[in-house]
Amino acid sequence: MKDRIAQLEDYIMKHCLWQFHSRTWDRERQNEGVLGAATKILCDEPVANETREDRCYWVDAVCLAEAFENRYPWLHEMDTAEKKLLMQGLKERIDYTTITASLNKELTDHKY
Amino acid sequence: MPHHEFECSTTIPERKKHAVIKGAGEDLTSALPEGYLNTIPGSISERGCAYCGAKHVIGTPMKDVIHLSHGPVGCTYDTWQTKRYISDNENFQLKYTFATDMKEKNIVFGAEKMLKQNIIEAFKAFPQIKRMTLYQTCASALIGDDIGAVAQEVMEEMPEVDIFVCNSPGFKGPSQSGGHHTINIAWIKDKVGTVEPKITSDYVINYVGEYNIQGDEEIMHDYFKRMGIQVLSTFTGNGSYDDLRAMHGAHLNVLECARSAEYICNELRVRYGIPRLDIDGFGFEPLSDSLRKVGLFFGIEERAQKIIDEETARWKPELEWYKERLKGKKVCLWPGGSKLWHWAHVIHEEMGLDVVSVYTKFGHQQDMEKGIARCEEGTLAIDDPNELESVEAMLRLKPDVIFTGKRPGEVAKKIRVPYLNAHAYHNGPYKGYEGWVRFARDIYNAIYSPIHQLSLLDISKDEIPTDKGFATQMMFSDAALSEEAASASTQRQYTGKYDCVPDYMNKTYPDELKKKPVGAH
Repeated sequence: MKDRIAQLEDYIMKHCLWQFHSRTWDRERQNEGVLGAATKILCDEPVANETREDRCYWVDAVCLAEAFENRYPWLHEMDTAEKKLLMQGLKERIDYTTITASLNKELTDHKY
Repeated sequence: MPHHEFECSTTIPERKKHAVIKGAGEDLTSALPEGYLNTIPGSISERGCAYCGAKHVIGTPMKDVIHLSHGPVGCTYDTWQTKRYISDNENFQLKYTFATDMKEKNIVFGAEKMLKQNIIEAFKAFPQIKRMTLYQTCASALIGDDIGAVAQEVMEEMPEVDIFVCNSPGFKGPSQSGGHHTINIAWIKDKVGTVEPKITSDYVINYVGEYNIQGDEEIMHDYFKRMGIQVLSTFTGNGSYDDLRAMHGAHLNVLECARSAEYICNELRVRYGIPRLDIDGFGFEPLSDSLRKVGLFFGIEERAQKIIDEETARWKPELEWYKERLKGKKVCLWPGGSKLWHWAHVIHEEMGLDVVSVYTKFGHQQDMEKGIARCEEGTLAIDDPNELESVEAMLRLKPDVIFTGKRPGEVAKKIRVPYLNAHAYHNGPYKGYEGWVRFARDIYNAIYSPIHQLSLLDISKDEIPTDKGFATQMMFSDAALSEEAASASTQRQYTGKYDCVPDYMNKTYPDELKKKPVGAH
């Protein structure tokens, strides 16, 4: 599982920008919004995309889920429970790298 | 932390925390340099000041505006014309620059009266222009001239004009990035919401952090318009002052350079509920992903896919020709801020280049996070390098080319390293599919230039070959290629025009794409 999470993390780090917003609260919201929606898409669950904000997370999530499915064939062999566990682990890892263990000293600046 | 200490900077120990090497197994939790701090005394920084960041980077690309600096003439002269952000009104904002030309007597007696005279004179000299941005400088800020009050006075006397006051003197921040911040916040606070947007499509975006360097904005607008999307405003390349006052009318902010413009996107989200979508306009795959995302947002993803398919079919064979010849070449990716992460991964993936170093002059740790995340292992990442450090890095890493600004670029040439202008470009645009091929062509021409090959010879000690005559880039680039690779019929060199921008500017688009199909959400 750890190795698979590392592969997904590497994809996000090299191809995505949504995880690097400027403040801690932004990153928490972004990671939850995009990875939460991507998890639902991968598990064939409905995703809210009615409001503009939800839709913005949704478009990043759709592209992320498609890239994961195209690049990592082992994902197709996983059942829903395994996928949820995988994505939960990925979310924890992205939160760790971009927020809790981040060395970026501007994350807690209260102004934009 | 895998810090790197430059030999030339051992007398400035604080500098050690500003460079790291991303080693095996390193990630952002262990390898990130310090960033966006005051320049260390003794280190000759290459950064611009906060006035430069506000005026030169963000303010001046606005096209229908008199850009007047209240200060010594040198401030405005040194921030004039070196970034080629063209516009479709005959480059008014590039042709002319305005300054009050403060002298010592103004420092002693004040310069508000002179400022008012200058504003009126400038409007009279260009009666077709009714908008002005007024920039504070260190000199006028230190004597306490109230430029806001003067602007207000003029607007009361001349109700047909509108003036934006940018209070970002050079000392207001560690680098030009401080000026980016100030002008972003001032614009949304003072100007956004003061003009009603003219909506012409069911799909409306602001294109933010895009400065139309050599036509980047024109090439990206083409894709948006082919999808039926109205670009309500561009912040700020080729942007119109009044369009930018109406930014609040968009459905989505599409953000390119987060370093210079994320502030206004964040505020537009908080104040007007307009979400922010970060995109990459550089590189085939990142651009395709970006267009797909914008299409998906509006439910018109099939239009995006059509553009992706057409453009990829047209330009991919040309990109592949250059990739074949650029594989394994070493690059120091040393731009100002955002291009270190826009380009770090995609020039490796799509052109085969190896990025051996990234640096940022004025970026924040956030930019380094993005850049280091996208680099391969072994990359040297430097924050705010001084000239000696840059030279030491080039001598150690031996890059085949560097992408940087014109000042460090000229230094590189002196030690026989070719450079490409990462800020103003050589033969842009570089965005879009065609632009990306033009970038590859410029890299190829820089690395394999016959003149550059000659410059590697030192006439004071090297033997000068007299049996070799005329040479071309291909004689150098194809020497090491297999016959099959050199003659691949599926690949070709760039076949676009010398100046590709007018064709994009003169295109027309069907109006029916601007309306949602019946039954669509």
